[in-house]
Amino acid sequence: MIEIKEITKKFGRKKVLNGVSFTAEKGEITCIIGVNGVGKTTILNAIMNLTPVNSGQILINGEKIHKGSYENVTFIPDAMTMLPQMTISQAMEFMQDFYNTWNQKRASEILGFFKLKESDRISELSKGNKAKVNLLLGLAMDVDFILMDEPFSGIDIFSREQIAEVFTSHLIEDRGVIITTHEIGDIEHLIDKVVLLDQGVVLKEFNSEEMRETEGKSVVDVMREVFKA
Amino acid sequence: MKMNFNKRDPVYTQVVRHFKERMATGMLEPGEEIPSRRELANQLKINPNTAQRAYKEMEEQGLIYTESNQPSKITTNEKILSSVREELITEAIDMFVSSIRSINVPLDEIIELITEKYEDESNE
Amino acid sequence: MNRYIKLVNFEISRFIKLYFVLIAITVISQVTGTIMISSQYVNSASEAIYQHGVSIEQFITERGLMSMFQVTASLWFLGPIALCIAALIFYTFFIWYRDWFAKNTFIYRLLMLPTARINIYLAKATSIFLLVLGLVALQLFLIPLLSTILKWIVPVDLRLDMSVTELIDSFFYLQIILPQSFVEFLIYYGIGFMVVFIVFTAILFERSFRLKGILLGGVYGILSIAIFTMPFFIFIDYLYPIELLAVETVLGLIVAAMSIWVSHYLLTKKVMV
Repeated sequence: MIEIKEITKKFGRKKVLNGVSFTAEKGEITCIIGVNGVGKTTILNAIMNLTPVNSGQILINGEKIHKGSYENVTFIPDAMTMLPQMTISQAMEFMQDFYNTWNQKRASEILGFFKLKESDRISELSKGNKAKVNLLLGLAMDVDFILMDEPFSGIDIFSREQIAEVFTSHLIEDRGVIITTHEIGDIEHLIDKVVLLDQGVVLKEFNSEEMRETEGKSVVDVMREVFKA
Repeated sequence: MKMNFNKRDPVYTQVVRHFKERMATGMLEPGEEIPSRRELANQLKINPNTAQRAYKEMEEQGLIYTESNQPSKITTNEKILSSVREELITEAIDMFVSSIRSINVPLDEIIELITEKYEDESNE
Repeated sequence: MNRYIKLVNFEISRFIKLYFVLIAITVISQVTGTIMISSQYVNSASEAIYQHGVSIEQFITERGLMSMFQVTASLWFLGPIALCIAALIFYTFFIWYRDWFAKNTFIYRLLMLPTARINIYLAKATSIFLLVLGLVALQLFLIPLLSTILKWIVPVDLRLDMSVTELIDSFFYLQIILPQSFVEFLIYYGIGFMVVFIVFTAILFERSFRLKGILLGGVYGILSIAIFTMPFFIFIDYLYPIELLAVETVLGLIVAAMSIWVSHYLLTKKVMV
């Protein structure tokens, strides 16, 4: 379980996170939805200790993040995390070199699934394919948690469909996933938990299927209520 | 398997209903193996936990059964199968009746119209 | 192989192309320079002697004997050294900033490696260290080669042969780049690497606190230098050179250790992508 407890983050005078708390369970897909602002990415960066928070606590399986945590939680940011001059196979070698939990067999499988060519240079890939390489590097690790920042933004519809397919496949297995998005669109039926974030505050946290069952509301219905209020 | 979901009903109940429809029409035969929860999630593009929930629900209703370490199968229990069919028919008729009642049409006329429509569509 | 060694290897491989270019420029420029300067000397000697009837002795009195000193004092020789130094000073900064500012943000990956983050810092420092030593070694290897070239071109009567030691002694800049004793080597390069540590830490201040960090980094740098140079202001009259050396060595180690410790803190608690 990843527990976010009362985290606050200021950039200069601007509070981007103001006492944010929520949890993400293993075996569930948790989706942080915010219509605007930078808070969503900051939360993921904070979980990975890539941005220090001003106050609050983050626990991964009950522990504060430490070097070993990076073998167990993987972050797929919105930007490419490998050098542009590398080929896909060199990027995979790098991962294999540094991470014990890198799973080369799975990496090859994902490579085929996304129809990527190992010998392609990262700098020469299309935007959609870059996103897929990013995904590949994160998904091929045997980890408990995967964090993805806006996996669907700015890429073509076919890449989006392919990426959405990942969520229902064995590639996610029983891992915990946290994704951020600004539009729920095509993934409404893929997610378990929704965290609605606005102006650095969690406005509502709920299970989407429960919401449909008990109140007969879609995620978008709830967003409309909460964000407009 | 393809299906369109509406966004306001629980996905798992929609999946269960989808299975019932296919059982009633014979598209799924008694004793037929059904996909694993992972495969189902993948085919329907839904959350695997939801697929799991749908299967659990169907198991509880006796629509499917699982023998140890085997893929789940559609029930062969005649009673349950016929009750599924009845349930769907009753449900559809209830809906039809409640919406047609608000227009105040006499029963004779309705039956005539239904027969006409039914034959038209069958001929197409 | 442990991850620190892998990181060093990786950091060096990222600079290796440019490094080979620097090496090529150095070799080409220094060899060409030696050939040009030697040939010019020989040409003017033969012109003077055969066309104007000047005696060899008179020519030598006027022009002096040809030696490696003329080569090492030339832009052909010093230019590439200055270029290499400038390149490595620039790279001392760039080795960090390239990870943040390139189109693909590699810093995410570096900070998410399952290893103590100080290893990133140490690996980058080690890389600079090895790259510098590599260039020094190249120079030590090149000087005898250049002497040999000079000997091929300039006849024995016209030249003054110098050993590498004599050559280095004759020229102030070379004394610093290629120290004659191990102690001097430790002093010059020790100070050099201490400064690299300080600069790295200042960079991390900037990367942690951005605008405010520039100020903090500057203060940190001044403080470090103040600690290190303090004996020269306070004890200089009371200490023998060997004692001063001992004190400076200790202070240098303290400053370097402080940099590593502060950087460790910044990398684990403060740094931002």
